[in-house]
Amino acid sequence: MQTRFPNKFLPYLLLSPSIIIVLIFFVIPSVQSIQQSLYRSNISGTRQIFVGLRNYEQIFSTTEYLNSIQVTFLFAFFVVGVGLALSLFIALVANQRYAGFTIYRTLLIWPYALSPNIAGVIWGLMLEPTIGMLTNAMQFIGIHFNWRTDAASALLFIAMAATWKMLGYNIIFFLAGIQGLPTEILEAAEVDGANAWTKFWRITFPLLSPTTFFLFVMNTLYAFFEGFGLIHVTTNGGPGYATDLMVYKLYRDGFIAMNTGFASAQSVVLLLLVASLTFLQFRYAGRYVYYGG
Amino acid sequence: MKQALMVLLVLLVVMVACAPAPTPAPAATAPAATKPAAPAPSAPTAPTPLPVVGADVKPAATEVLFWHAMSGSRGDVIKSFADEFNKTNKYGITVKPEYTGTYAETVTKALAAFKAGKPPHIVQVYEVGTQTMRDSKAIVPIYTLNRGDVDFGDVVQPIVKYYSVGGQVVCMPFNSSTAMLYYNKDAFKKAGLDPNKPPTTFDEMYEYGKKIVSSGAAKGGVSFGWPAWIFEQMFATHNQLYANNDNGRSGLATEVYINSPFGVKVLTEWQKWAKEKVLVYGGREYDANAPFIAGEFAMLVQSTSSLGGIQNSAKGKFELGTTFLPRLPGYPVGNSVVGGGCLWVMKGHSDAENLAAWEFLKFINQLENQITWHKKTGYFPATNRAVTALLNEGWFAQQPNYITAFLEILLGVDTPAARGVLLGNFVEIRDVVGAAIEDAVVNMKDPKTVLDEAAKKTNQILKDYAEVNK
Repeated sequence: MQTRFPNKFLPYLLLSPSIIIVLIFFVIPSVQSIQQSLYRSNISGTRQIFVGLRNYEQIFSTTEYLNSIQVTFLFAFFVVGVGLALSLFIALVANQRYAGFTIYRTLLIWPYALSPNIAGVIWGLMLEPTIGMLTNAMQFIGIHFNWRTDAASALLFIAMAATWKMLGYNIIFFLAGIQGLPTEILEAAEVDGANAWTKFWRITFPLLSPTTFFLFVMNTLYAFFEGFGLIHVTTNGGPGYATDLMVYKLYRDGFIAMNTGFASAQSVVLLLLVASLTFLQFRYAGRYVYYGG
Repeated sequence: MKQALMVLLVLLVVMVACAPAPTPAPAATAPAATKPAAPAPSAPTAPTPLPVVGADVKPAATEVLFWHAMSGSRGDVIKSFADEFNKTNKYGITVKPEYTGTYAETVTKALAAFKAGKPPHIVQVYEVGTQTMRDSKAIVPIYTLNRGDVDFGDVVQPIVKYYSVGGQVVCMPFNSSTAMLYYNKDAFKKAGLDPNKPPTTFDEMYEYGKKIVSSGAAKGGVSFGWPAWIFEQMFATHNQLYANNDNGRSGLATEVYINSPFGVKVLTEWQKWAKEKVLVYGGREYDANAPFIAGEFAMLVQSTSSLGGIQNSAKGKFELGTTFLPRLPGYPVGNSVVGGGCLWVMKGHSDAENLAAWEFLKFINQLENQITWHKKTGYFPATNRAVTALLNEGWFAQQPNYITAFLEILLGVDTPAARGVLLGNFVEIRDVVGAAIEDAVVNMKDPKTVLDEAAKKTNQILKDYAEVNK
């Protein structure tokens, strides 16, 4: 059903706050990024040289950048894959009615209220290589976990912390999704003698697909963009370049090495990459989503 | 319909997330563009000194913004200096110190503020940022403010020389440190070693390390803080140039010598130690301190600025010893290099305001403040008078470890190689070298290969830097 506005200007007026925000915080900076990615400038920004696509050529010719892309994808696979599976599982469990379930559900959502930096500090302390509680417990059973010096441990460490941070968010959506499911179908299945797994796999999971898909997209975006705060307070991209996610490398090149040209080129690449990923997700994964009759 | 909405929503989120952090507007509006440019030094030789401010200009009764990177108790010392200065100075100057994050963040913020036309008066910059500041065109070299009121002859020479260009001091040395060897005397005893004979050469280091490991006195022999910086220290202490153009001091460095036979030799030795568990890799900054205090390895090469912390934490656990960095025999003597930070006066204020900032820098340089600074932070006292006073009051006799650090920088030679290297985009170069060291001592790759590769990358970084900043 369509509603008609009384005149042509009202809709634009109503939209204007969002348009202004998008202009200021997205369109203008993006255009500037694209422009700056074609230049190289000195430290104080007083001198700019047009270099065409040389910044792009150069970032792709360095092993550091290719490594950064690889690390970002590994991180994203973990955060999205493990994160979604785990939160769906927890949501299913938390959906049952037991004593104090409301308190329990509220607690589950807590991690989401933390900023990534705080999440980093908490995990950094728990897993501190020398004095961390978890590290010492792991040491006890013979696992040596040192994210400050070991590359694989470091990536696993930030991936775990990032996943944990997003759990709350995922669980809320899954819980809401599960509770919105039509109970008749599940009851009918029960009458037909379906076991818990069949009910989940044949009914709950397919019916949850809009939620899952939404979370899939959101978690991908989270993995690509939000790792920054977490890394900034823990590994700083290291050891070596082991946790040098694309967002973090961009920051280091732009704000520490003060190479605005390289950093801008990287932000453009990141934008294109994520935009195309999102497009692919909608194009291919989106067709398996069932939005209900 | 729902789907289309969601696509829109998601794209919006993508867009917002992708937008870079707001940076100040690009070149066109930069303040420096409108000012007459300083005489461009075309020759790579020492630039002609700028004129000193005239004797008729008086320090202004103004607010002086001081951005620094000293958190915690160090920041408190700075605050007490500012309070004291505000109360006592005769010009009515008010210094406002502000902690602006890490060193890297502080430089970035100060330069961004300069671009936006609102720079602080004084900013603290770490030693790797020295070349960046020199090339930034955003600073007032302090020699132009010194109308004979500070005698830099009294400032400890290796420190002055690190921060001098063409014989002129460009920033006020503030917090200076160097690298030294810390060792656990108890672990030495347990391994059957003489606790008063720490290793002095690479070979001894290796032998002692092996004894420590095999006797079970500790799990490892030695670890490093800031490995890439220690690597630089090795070049300086053996009087080897790290880069061309006199270590970047007679002109912008364009080529590094990290893959020279000397560099390869050092890294090959380190790798040999690592293979025998004599060298335990300890991360890029201060991560090795905690396990050293916990007794996981018996020796630590680290910045002297860690002394206070290590000394306090080791109390009651083991007896701490300190000594000079071990050497490779057969190479000439150089000097250990100064690290830490320097205070820069930023461009964008009147001469009178700059002089107000200078008044505060002079105040910090005073005898009693230098002594306070040293005692409370562990950084070097920067003036010879302060060192003498500390010596007279018996401070070094009570705190013998503090004299190790200090003697180390005074006992070497004064050559371009020993003064330490200046490089454009030094931070990134340290990352590259740090990664190469990790490849050699953790992943056991061939030292020559990793250094060749790192040198190639570093030279590219220097080329990119020179392209826009020469």
